[in-house]
Amino acid sequence: MTAKARAIVGRWYSIPLLLVVWGAAVASGLVQSRLLPGPGAVWDALTGETANGALVYHAGVTVSRALTGFLLAVLIGIPFAAAMARSPLVGNLFEPIFFLGYPVPKIALFPVFTYIFGIGTPSKVAFTFLECLYPIVVTCYFGFSGVQTRLIWTAQNCGASRMTILRRVILPAAMPSIFSALRIALPVAIVVVVITEMIGDSIGLGYYITIWSTRFRFANVYAAIIVIGVCGLVLDQAVLLLRHRIVHWQRERA
Amino acid sequence: MRINWRIVQNWIVPVVVLVAWQLFGGAGMLPRYLSTPSAIVEGLWEMAATGELLAAVAASLYRVTAGFVLGTGGGVLIGLAAGVVPAVRHFFDPLVSFLYSIPKIAFLPIFLLLFGLGHGSKIAIIAVSCFFPVFIASRHAVLAVNRLLIWAAQNMGAPARTVFFRVIIPAAAPQLFTGIRIGLAHAFVVLFAAELIGSKAGLGTLIAYGEEWVRFDLMFGGIVCFAALGFFADRLLLAIRQRVLKGQIIGTEEQVVR
Repeated sequence: MTAKARAIVGRWYSIPLLLVVWGAAVASGLVQSRLLPGPGAVWDALTGETANGALVYHAGVTVSRALTGFLLAVLIGIPFAAAMARSPLVGNLFEPIFFLGYPVPKIALFPVFTYIFGIGTPSKVAFTFLECLYPIVVTCYFGFSGVQTRLIWTAQNCGASRMTILRRVILPAAMPSIFSALRIALPVAIVVVVITEMIGDSIGLGYYITIWSTRFRFANVYAAIIVIGVCGLVLDQAVLLLRHRIVHWQRERA
Repeated sequence: MRINWRIVQNWIVPVVVLVAWQLFGGAGMLPRYLSTPSAIVEGLWEMAATGELLAAVAASLYRVTAGFVLGTGGGVLIGLAAGVVPAVRHFFDPLVSFLYSIPKIAFLPIFLLLFGLGHGSKIAIIAVSCFFPVFIASRHAVLAVNRLLIWAAQNMGAPARTVFFRVIIPAAAPQLFTGIRIGLAHAFVVLFAAELIGSKAGLGTLIAYGEEWVRFDLMFGGIVCFAALGFFADRLLLAIRQRVLKGQIIGTEEQVVR
């Protein structure tokens, strides 16, 4: 075995090891196979439910809800954070709401959202919007307020208009913070949608998990959990890719 | 006396919202599910008088504390070990990067069957949810410690134990606290979801009951309590952090987020 192959095995052995231990524990009857079906059963559920479209459909519902709420929060939160950071009046008016409200577990408000927006998609999207808005506004606020004053002075000296300064100086300077805000908010969006779907809905991956666990078909539950993980991973990679293209002057290793 | 306009402006939005809520609600112009602030206070008082509120707060607080301590403790210990020992790191890294993107709340139905509707299932799911952010922060914190500091200590003949406790831990502490703070936020979210989905006690259950009995004042009372609990837990953590880190947090973002 070459050194390179040995290094790869040394880095990645734990996932196959876990699968083997899992399979052996289930096959030997050491753990109740009802609660923890073997890897094979989960794989069958994953491929079967993907092939008949059930998982694809529910994943589509969950992801589209998460993305809608997330994008709304991005569209409203980033200009809002810029206004808070650049205007003392707006900042003073809204700082306490965002900074004192930040550690408050907003999930407690979800029951109220179901009354206002109904139990379906609108309440989930609205709630995802709220949950994403906080990290986006707070993180971007620091990005916008941390723009070095001498950069703005330089631009003013060169005769740039306010709009040009905003677009060509402030926005690029805040871009890294904006992307860290997106990376914080995106997993929040997915978690929140799944949680609210588990609390009450008839579509979406959260519902899928709840319904199949009440029917004691845990292979399907684990399959859905894997799908959620893959969705989260893909979306995060998409944000990283976007960051890599847009913030080309400050590339980090992914 | 000079008026501090900054503070006046800070209070405008919350006060206007509360007053408008009370006035419009009192005039019957808001939907029935938006109880007025005064009704919420009365509802809170009513629940406090019967002792229901205290029992619910105690149950929620016990669960979130036990789960948070278990998850954070495990996350810090294993995370530090992963930072220091490459073998531990190589074992946990693939597993964590795979499991991290999964919302841990998805395991709730399984935990409910394993540990029942009582405290056990909530503590377990909270512990699992806290573990991941804390583990990742601890692992990265150790690896981000300036090598020069470690070499300097080693050069002066410090044994591995001293290097670990006197160099690595203090240098990693700020990032550790960042991870722990994220873990605390996760703990409250998961606690609420777990209590709403399957539970017989706690604030989340109280809120669900308020909804079922169409007593919106009680529902909002529970919400206010839960929000306050989460808020003060975070403040407590920040206060501890301030004591532990003393001079280390000057000029960081956390100092600004009061």
